[in-house]
Amino acid sequence: MSVAVSHAAPVAAPPPPEPEPAKTNYLNVSHTIWSWLFTVDHKRIGILYLVSITVFFIAGGIAAGVVRLNLLSPNGAIVTEDAYNRAFTAHGVMMLFFFLIPAVPAVLGNFFIPMMIGTKDLAFPKLNLASWYVFIIGAALAIWSVLAGGIDTGWTLYPPYSTRASQSNVIPGVVGVFISGFSSIMTGLNIMVTIHKMRAPGMTWSRLPLFVWSLYATSLIQLLATPVIAITLLLLTVERAWGVGIFDPALGGDPLLFQHLFWFYSHPAVYIMILPGMGVISEVLTCFSRKNIFGYHAVAWSSMGIAVVGFLLWAHHMFVAGISFYAALLFSLLSMLVAVPSAIKVFNWTATLYRGSITFQAPMLFALGFVVLFTIGGLTGLYLATLGTDIHLHDTYFVVAHFHFVMVGGMVMGYFAGLHYWWPKMTGRMYSDWWSRVAAAIIIVGFFLTFIPQFWIGYHGMPRRYPNYPDKFHVFNVMSTAGSSILGLGYLLPAFYLTLSLFYGKKATANPWSATGLEWQTPSPPTVHNFDSTPVVVCGPYEYAIGVDQMGRGLPEPPGPGGAEGPEGRVGITGPPGPMKKETEVVG
Amino acid sequence: MGEQPNTPGTTPATAQGTDDPYGVRKDLDDPFTLVIVWIAVLGLALVNVGLSFAIGPTKFTLPLQLMIGFVQAGLVAYYFMHLKQGDKVVILTALSSLFWMGILFVLFLSDYMTRHIIVGG
Repeated sequence: MSVAVSHAAPVAAPPPPEPEPAKTNYLNVSHTIWSWLFTVDHKRIGILYLVSITVFFIAGGIAAGVVRLNLLSPNGAIVTEDAYNRAFTAHGVMMLFFFLIPAVPAVLGNFFIPMMIGTKDLAFPKLNLASWYVFIIGAALAIWSVLAGGIDTGWTLYPPYSTRASQSNVIPGVVGVFISGFSSIMTGLNIMVTIHKMRAPGMTWSRLPLFVWSLYATSLIQLLATPVIAITLLLLTVERAWGVGIFDPALGGDPLLFQHLFWFYSHPAVYIMILPGMGVISEVLTCFSRKNIFGYHAVAWSSMGIAVVGFLLWAHHMFVAGISFYAALLFSLLSMLVAVPSAIKVFNWTATLYRGSITFQAPMLFALGFVVLFTIGGLTGLYLATLGTDIHLHDTYFVVAHFHFVMVGGMVMGYFAGLHYWWPKMTGRMYSDWWSRVAAAIIIVGFFLTFIPQFWIGYHGMPRRYPNYPDKFHVFNVMSTAGSSILGLGYLLPAFYLTLSLFYGKKATANPWSATGLEWQTPSPPTVHNFDSTPVVVCGPYEYAIGVDQMGRGLPEPPGPGGAEGPEGRVGITGPPGPMKKETEVVG
Repeated sequence: MGEQPNTPGTTPATAQGTDDPYGVRKDLDDPFTLVIVWIAVLGLALVNVGLSFAIGPTKFTLPLQLMIGFVQAGLVAYYFMHLKQGDKVVILTALSSLFWMGILFVLFLSDYMTRHIIVGG
């Protein structure tokens, strides 16, 4: 008996036929305002969050504009010193609690987690809607506190100033943040239970997209850390309202106790903000370099590593606050540990890009921006985690630049990458490829111009939160303000072209980026219950090497660098058309 | 993390002690039991307040009050948060919160218990 052996490369299954655009999708199934306000559809709730946090992004951006404009002059250009305090506090509170924390989990997570794991909704749809209402109630209180005069304590709300001396609306703002924390817990709980209980057949833990892994890790932090800030803010309110001595030394309290409790939440909260962005980046980098992720398990478990180690290092915010020298040594050492899983991610992303057929559509530009800016933010963090250098740099603009590199350069870029990547799926429309790439370029240039000068002035001694500064810092502050204007323009552009795409954009196909995830196997926009039948998963999440999606079907031809479709659109790409055949790690 | 995803078109076998095929237990405590537990939790709170007036700030007050608080939290978790009916994963998850609380306290104490030590002294 003879056996014929073929040495030809394996041929991927043909791509599935383009699904007929559904007559009824989640957007047009009903048009009444009540159908949105009482919806339990995870996709509509994601859109509700998208609209809400966009309002806060704009409001927080306006507050940042006031801060930067005021710093145009060494003695304050436009507002009084008291108003300046309220402006930077409003910027911090709105951006952190009402934009960065809910941005990816509540918008993209809500929308895509069920679709990526192949189910029709989150585990608790009504809890999901409740989380939005709780968020809105908390946000309304916070907005009221800002409109009624604002808070002047800084977003960190340190006592005894916040409990004894501040003449601003501390209590309503604190209660607003307290309430919105429950929304965060509800979202985290919902996502965690959904991932545990509702995965499609064949969707094992090793086949979960890395976005899902990162949101699982995020949910862990949301569940375990948020209750601590809730009780801390409650204690702060009790002390301010009734004079019960908890944190104020004049009443027998300990101000460092507040800082310990506050940062036990607020440092892990940084990872609530950045981890989902990292998940987006893993999705986008693989898709636009047509490569399997390098080191799937390393990237997945590094998310869990960040979530756990992130709880061990909060007191590096308190090195000069008067904590014990030995505790400071310990926390300095522990702070270094978090660099390990973060570096694992960056190295694996870089290895993923290596020899990839990279195209530079807007999601990829934002993702590459994330990798570069997050790396700079991470490396400058080492100076702040090191006990000796932190004494010099603490509470200076160096810190401001560092965390903006991580939060804005990292998280906001990740959010924009995800928004641009999934926009065709969410809305069924393609946006302008050219304008979106211009916006990404403007944002990256504006970002560098805004925050690089802040490293310099911070290193040379300019403290954060001061409205006045010596003349020698003038030119750098002007540069930073000019950069922030460019950055603001860059952020405004997507508001225009994404909105215009809703009315004039070309209709999106089901899988416009030729991606592998289950969410792309539904029509654009998806039907109400996402899938006509439960999908069966047969392989890992990034099988670009063999050119199949997670259901084992072939991929459509990916778009070219200018968004042009078909083989002619791929002129200038380094690799051949179709699936890539490269040495790669096959997962699942 | 060992549970298997559901298979389409089939309903998983009903777990023991569970009347829901997906493992959500319905055999919860009757309202009478829950009311009794609720009264017990409130009663312990009153005992706690009463103790602070009765014995004042001795070295035993804080441990005693923390112990009462621990019992209260245990009752809430066991009955109202349904750990009584929870499977191993749920109980493990609940215990993990104690682990995280341990992190909080141990690293807190690394500051508070070494603050008085003079460097080089």
